Amino acid sequence: MSLVRVTINGRTVEVPAGTLITDAARVAETHIPVFCSHTKLDPLGACRICVVEVGTPKLGPDRKPVMGADGQPEIAWMPKVQTACTTVVSEGMHVRTETPVATQARQGVMEFLLVNHPLDCPVCDEGGECQLQDLAFAYGLDYSRMADAKRTFESEDLGPIVKKEANRCIVCMRCVRYCSEVMGEDALTAHQRGVWTEISSFNRQPLDCEQCGNCIEVCPVGALTALPYRFKARPWDLRQHITICPYCSNGCSVRLGVRREEILRARGTEFRGVNQEFLCVRGRFGYEFVGSADRLSAPLLKLGESLGPSTFDESVTFVAARLREIVALHGAGAVAFLGGDKLTLEEQYLEQKLARAVIGTPHVDARTRHTAPVAGDAILRATGGGRAALTFDALVGMREVLVLGDDLQGEGPFAQAQLVRGARQKGLHLTVAHPRRVKLARERFNGAHLAYRPGRELALVNALTRAVLDLGDPAGAPPEVTSKLASLKTALAGATAEAAETVTGVRADAIRAAAKRLRDADRKAILFGRAFTEHREAAALVQAIENLGWASGALTSTTASVMYIGPQSNSQGALDMGLVPDRLPGYVPAADATARAVFERAWSAPVPGAGMTAPEVLAAAASGKVRALWIVGDDWLASAPDRALAEQALARAELVIVNEMFPTETAQRAHVVFPITSFAEKEGVVVNCERRLQKSIRALPPRKGTRTDGDVFQAVAQAFGASWAYRTSEDVFREIARLVPGYQGMLTAMMVPHGPQWSLPAPHPAVLTATVADPAPANNGDGLWLLAGATLFLQGSLSHRGALLPRLAGEPRAWLHPDDGRRLGIAAGDAVELTGPGGRLALAAALDDSVPAGSVFVPLGQRGAALNRLGSAPGTGLQVQVRKTAVRETVGA
Amino acid sequence: VSEPRGPLLFKDLDTPGLATLATYRAGGGYETLKRVLVTAKKSAAEVIEIVKASGLRGRGGAGFPAGLKWSFVPKDSPKPRYLVCNADESEPGTFKDRELMEKNPHLLIESMVLAGYAIGAHTGYIYLRGEFEYIQKILDTALAETRAAGLIGKDVAGSGYEFQLWTHLGAGAYICGEETALLSSLEGYRGQPRLKPPFPAVEGLYACPTVVNNVETLMNVPFILREGAQAYRQWGTEKSSGTKIVSVSGPVKKPGNYEIPLGLPLRKLIDDVCGGMRDGMKVKAVIPGGSSVPPLPASLLDTPFDYESMGAAGTMLGSAGCIVIDDQTCMVDALWNLIRFYEHESCGKCTPCREGTYWMNEVLERLEHGKGRPGDLELLESVADNILGKSFCALGDAAAMPVQGFLKHFRPEFEHHVTHGRCMVNRRRAEIAAMSAVVTV
Repeated sequence: MSLVRVTINGRTVEVPAGTLITDAARVAETHIPVFCSHTKLDPLGACRICVVEVGTPKLGPDRKPVMGADGQPEIAWMPKVQTACTTVVSEGMHVRTETPVATQARQGVMEFLLVNHPLDCPVCDEGGECQLQDLAFAYGLDYSRMADAKRTFESEDLGPIVKKEANRCIVCMRCVRYCSEVMGEDALTAHQRGVWTEISSFNRQPLDCEQCGNCIEVCPVGALTALPYRFKARPWDLRQHITICPYCSNGCSVRLGVRREEILRARGTEFRGVNQEFLCVRGRFGYEFVGSADRLSAPLLKLGESLGPSTFDESVTFVAARLREIVALHGAGAVAFLGGDKLTLEEQYLEQKLARAVIGTPHVDARTRHTAPVAGDAILRATGGGRAALTFDALVGMREVLVLGDDLQGEGPFAQAQLVRGARQKGLHLTVAHPRRVKLARERFNGAHLAYRPGRELALVNALTRAVLDLGDPAGAPPEVTSKLASLKTALAGATAEAAETVTGVRADAIRAAAKRLRDADRKAILFGRAFTEHREAAALVQAIENLGWASGALTSTTASVMYIGPQSNSQGALDMGLVPDRLPGYVPAADATARAVFERAWSAPVPGAGMTAPEVLAAAASGKVRALWIVGDDWLASAPDRALAEQALARAELVIVNEMFPTETAQRAHVVFPITSFAEKEGVVVNCERRLQKSIRALPPRKGTRTDGDVFQAVAQAFGASWAYRTSEDVFREIARLVPGYQGMLTAMMVPHGPQWSLPAPHPAVLTATVADPAPANNGDGLWLLAGATLFLQGSLSHRGALLPRLAGEPRAWLHPDDGRRLGIAAGDAVELTGPGGRLALAAALDDSVPAGSVFVPLGQRGAALNRLGSAPGTGLQVQVRKTAVRETVGA
Repeated sequence: VSEPRGPLLFKDLDTPGLATLATYRAGGGYETLKRVLVTAKKSAAEVIEIVKASGLRGRGGAGFPAGLKWSFVPKDSPKPRYLVCNADESEPGTFKDRELMEKNPHLLIESMVLAGYAIGAHTGYIYLRGEFEYIQKILDTALAETRAAGLIGKDVAGSGYEFQLWTHLGAGAYICGEETALLSSLEGYRGQPRLKPPFPAVEGLYACPTVVNNVETLMNVPFILREGAQAYRQWGTEKSSGTKIVSVSGPVKKPGNYEIPLGLPLRKLIDDVCGGMRDGMKVKAVIPGGSSVPPLPASLLDTPFDYESMGAAGTMLGSAGCIVIDDQTCMVDALWNLIRFYEHESCGKCTPCREGTYWMNEVLERLEHGKGRPGDLELLESVADNILGKSFCALGDAAAMPVQGFLKHFRPEFEHHVTHGRCMVNRRRAEIAAMSAVVTV
């Protein structure tokens, strides 16, 4: 990009062409105040506080700059002041911010902003961190010339989150624009005009939106404040800590406001983190669980039939002794570790090290929701084999993005916001493959919606790949890929768009058009997540994504624009640290004795080969082959794919150890429960879906009686006789940075909140094979296909522990298409019963045409909607019977 | 039928039944369209050159050369182009477009086809202010006739050129006369001005190249294309060619719309054209170009009515809404009246205009009601100065300039209000006193 030279208050800097004066001023270390301007919003130029004097070189008749006596170009100053936030710099431009003209203009605007402002800072939540307050001190007068009556509005609650005091509003429209341009919600609007302009919702209804509260975040004054935080604290009384949100794999930086030992609020972080100011409703209001009274504060130990409080030392001794017995009698393979995708990277490393090097079992898997075995490196390969990963910043600028199978509103709200902003501001085109009409598939984003039949993902992805290959070989693929394309084409010979139309219900021309867009776009990305990895055909599906990535050019020898949106905050770290049974940390194959030897030397212990995946452990434990289960940070009864099997496994196991914050159902079936600190009480690195290492820091002292997972693992390892001596998470990280491929030398990551992305110097070789999808048409029994997925307000067990998120989510419901409702005689609000092969579930019905006919959608992870009670079935999908019941049975609390 | 009211647009304006296609055609209507598109087959570039040569300037207020504006439409843009007629006539004191459209809707339609042809547009919109619902009916009837006659539509008069034309009613906001706000409103958004650049000629309606012209501007086009650029220049001055419809209001004997050659001195307009002042009143001031321009005191009545002379006299020709103020009118009252309008019509987008018009209105209301304080006049001047040149669009300037002009020319009347708490002169003194009593209670 070409550079232009611009002189601001006498200082000349070079900035890229197209830069706004406000941004150039930052380079020139000149402060230009702004209110309406925002880095993520299109320039508006409304508030006028940024007015400056602007001049450009005077041009002579020959269109060349006229030189002055001093040999410098003469400057033609514009007659009027200009807004720096809308004016793009040009070569030789001069900007003055401190001249009498500019100063008077700015002071005039500052005075105007306060004409109708109530000056009620002492009772305003924004006071102390208010941009209007700050800039009034910096640029305003110390008296007011406005002696007449001010215009006033009533205050208004816009739903449970947003409090509006319109008198304080300076009509910068940031909230309205953010809601539209970044969130795609358009929930806010301006009523009336002129000085009577008032921000509100349409028809003054409670806001019908994601309740993200970003309108509050971007409000530069106290016009929009958060009801949950109202009058709770003054900002200068809060300790503010920037850490990483524990909810999803986007890894947003979150600024916790702490007073004494209580989190009073969470905010975004201007200019920091992947997200900057952005947070979703979970990130902003989901911290309540940390302060929950239900938190466990002492280890629980089962003596006899009942689980009772114990001491940490006693529990550790007990666990070590029992594990020794089981290993001695049945071998180390009788022990399995499940879970760990919410731990820090260091803890994940210790979990698998404890399992492999201390206890000696190969069975360790964090992917407890998986329904079928998937190779531990499948996702690594599908996302480019370890090549430098896609960033969120790059995502906004994509031309074409294919979202496969997941509703990002639930699985990755920040990823969704980046896509919305790309679509709204930058011409990004979305192709959303999802059975339901999820948010990104709504018409307002002008994308394409490939609404496939539930369970028919493989046929769709194969057909897309085949259609892409029909358009010619991809550019930029490494030789190892091009050499395999011919056999891939052969394998996909039958996967025509027409064949896929029969199976998936997506029109053949829509498949071909999507393939063409993906192939032709110069900047493109593919996003996928748990809808594919937790699928019964996950192994074939993840492989199919790898095929599509290479075939379409989303993966090339230098770029890797396929992103895996993992289901938990550190799902990526779990894969990287070898919390999969077939891969050691850094994706080193466990079955390869030579590769294993490196770890054996480092750990001074034999390392077992490959073990069983989580679904295999489930079956083995239910049949009594696995005798000891250590479940880490996971309510397994709720997350295991088949609840009946999990119940059986827990009943049969001789030893169940659970690391938990709360007395979950699973914890209540355990023999030992270790009480665990929350994310806010410990430190360590988490890896987000960009594969970025981010330091989560300690904002609070640990809840009394709790330990970190890492402490628990170390104590048990020591009790087992291992010579572990990690004093801090940093000690662990140093070992990781020494030993783990991809992480080697990344020592800065353990110190910075927004660290680097890891990549492999030698990427793993690509694999291009195809499994042909079942061509049989969907089994159209009288059942409905079960659709499940995370939704916005509740994700995982943590969100249940507060009051606000469950309230926003409402009661769990089964969503049906109105046509199915009519056919089955079910109206909205009716009590219904879902019957699957493994059991029944009672819910209230809701009707919505975003759910495809012939399906029933149940949000994942809502209390009282434990889908795994319905059991599982072989094949491509789960059909359930839905019937209306007279009275709704009590659902599980 | 009495003698023609004017030489060009008003020549046949009062012909009975002119709004019907038959009568309009009987007077030679749509002949120019046919000649340009079918018989003479003039190219779009030729049409633009003729309009450029005529010196026709925008009659909405800014006075920008029309032909030049048309030539700014990019020739190579792959996007569709639009022609939009600004019929939002909302400037206080201006009421010319409504009479033109009411009485001669077909002239506007013919003009728009020709202008659309010149810029390569296939779709045109007539954006009418919300109160012009009755004019929309007149236009829609005329459009239906024209469509049926094949003079607009897929194939205009058999020329192969497609031009579709629609009317659109605004929702009642002065700001929508500002061309970018008009476009936002036409798109269905909140009527607020947009950043320029990009200018509408490059990114206008639906981000496509768009020309926005005033009703009167467009209506001059058929004459220019029929009679030639030089024929148009028989009226007016070198830089302000042609005729101008002036809307005269105030206590003159014959208020109303008049078509005058540009350059006619104001005094002649009032004394000769409008028959002088009624009831023996004297002129104190004239606001020559609609409420947004500074007033001229009686001492400057010999200023010729054209763009350049008005500019030199410290005001503007604007929309030629000529408001005559007599010597018995309190200028504080008059200014308050104007500022109340701007406070009500400020769109609220930018700070100086939104807050400044409110503040000035508060001060003027107080002043008018005898509650003025020392320093109020300096405050008003300072507030106006802080708006002028700092607002997003011209609305803020339009509110600030009258304040500066009134204070410049009639300061003693304002000072009198501060020192005596009442008007120096006021025909409505009793009326105001009564209002004042209500306010103080």
